[in-house]
Amino acid sequence: MQASELKIPKKPGLRGSVMFSISFAFVLTIVTMITVEFSLLEIIENFTRPNMVVDGLLSPDLTQIFSERSRSAFLETLQLAILGTVSGGGLSLLMAFWATDFGNPIGWLRVVVRNFNNVIRSIPDLLWALLFVTAVGVGILPGLLALFFFSMAVVTKLTSDTLDGIDQGPIEAARASGSGQLSMLRMAVLPQILPSYASFLLYGFELNLRASAVLGLVGAGGIGSRIEFFRGRLEWSEVWGLVLMFFLVVFLVERLSVTIRRRLV
Amino acid sequence: MSNLSLPNKPVDWFRNTITLAIAVAVIWSLIGLEIKWERLIDLPGDLYVIGTLMFGEMNIEDFPDLVGAMWESISIAWVGTLIAALFAIPLSFLAAENLVGRPLAWLIRQVFNLLRAIPEVILAVALIPIFGLTPLTGVLAIGIGSIGTLGKLFYEVIEAIKKEPLEAADAVGANKLVRFRWGVVPQVMPEMASFVLYRFEVNIRASAVMGLIGAGGIGNDVAQALRFNDWSVAGMGMLIVIFGTITVDAISGAARKQIIRGSSAKSLTPVEVQA
Repeated sequence: MQASELKIPKKPGLRGSVMFSISFAFVLTIVTMITVEFSLLEIIENFTRPNMVVDGLLSPDLTQIFSERSRSAFLETLQLAILGTVSGGGLSLLMAFWATDFGNPIGWLRVVVRNFNNVIRSIPDLLWALLFVTAVGVGILPGLLALFFFSMAVVTKLTSDTLDGIDQGPIEAARASGSGQLSMLRMAVLPQILPSYASFLLYGFELNLRASAVLGLVGAGGIGSRIEFFRGRLEWSEVWGLVLMFFLVVFLVERLSVTIRRRLV
Repeated sequence: MSNLSLPNKPVDWFRNTITLAIAVAVIWSLIGLEIKWERLIDLPGDLYVIGTLMFGEMNIEDFPDLVGAMWESISIAWVGTLIAALFAIPLSFLAAENLVGRPLAWLIRQVFNLLRAIPEVILAVALIPIFGLTPLTGVLAIGIGSIGTLGKLFYEVIEAIKKEPLEAADAVGANKLVRFRWGVVPQVMPEMASFVLYRFEVNIRASAVMGLIGAGGIGNDVAQALRFNDWSVAGMGMLIVIFGTITVDAISGAARKQIIRGSSAKSLTPVEVQA
């Protein structure tokens, strides 16, 4: 062996495109940090200064669970999430069908439905709430409307993605045996997507439950209005007590939902 | 022929119970909520009026300010996502059961779960008294709020790595650090980078929303405009949010495709929906 003649090949360098991406990300980071006036010193200073928010977090008021008004606000949140999901998620099945070629033979209508979905999905839940608060005034109704549109957008998107991937065989079979549009959808398409659709509905319910906690911050009902009330009075122990209780509710619902979803899929 | 009878349809108890439960829940909610349903009749008309006010005549003079505010929202999302990644990456290695022991992984995972459960808006509400109505509030709310999700996505990536590179590293007698650097990092980098970008897209929506309660960005402008019936500004603001979000989504999505294409990673988008 003449080891001295062996040459170790040069290490391959970074490709140009990778170099470009890394420098782009670096510049972006610098520019955005200037935009938001990022300062590590300020963060450390503000966090180490004594403040009532952290004090409240360290001694949350758990007796809120016995308060009549807090409890009814919780029920309101739960009921809002249920109604919002059932109505929005129910309509989303129709919307998802209308966005596919076998569910909707009219080409231009398909495009309209798809774009409508995309626009609705790009508007966040809290903005929906604020819009409806402006339109119909403070109360539960704007919250319900916000959850309705929000969950409709999410479930429609997930369902139509599933519809794109279904087996076309049963559809052909239904058509060949002379079935009408409605019975084709009922017998050839629905059984294929029902388990995933049900699991999307539950997912939408979880999202709605979380969303309904913050709706109240803009005046759209639920537990958020209660949180906003205590925040306005600077009673942070009560705020954190409510937030902790909310976690408990979300956690329990999520456990239940995950269990049911496992059985469905 | 007439003797033949169809067998009874099998009874699906699971499905029946669920259906009944949903029906009961809906009725309970309908009775429980005191909703002024009659307001719904006026809603289409009201929305039409608001729509014409918002999008009827927009003032081009508002455009630069609002685009600046949208840029602030995007900046909040980017810096916040980076902060979250900074914390999530080391933590996620400690949460991967194939790298550390079970008890430690379990503990870190509970931290992730807790952080994941807090809506960013609530975090922002809590941070406003400390940091004031500044973009920094938004940055920190997003930063803290995304650690949980990113951490969870990351440790799932780490747990899915192939064993062979690790065995190869062991076979040549690599020490712990070298084993990690060449056995683990190259396998998880592409997907992690792609998930950071994905979270950035999610966070743009979050940061646009957080402005509604005063934590910086374009939400601030839209909320103020709606409160003071400054309809044309609100309308243009909403359009800018929608177009801005879609544009950044497109760019970031293209970048993610590039990252994933050059690697053996499996998924482009995290499958958060699957139980």
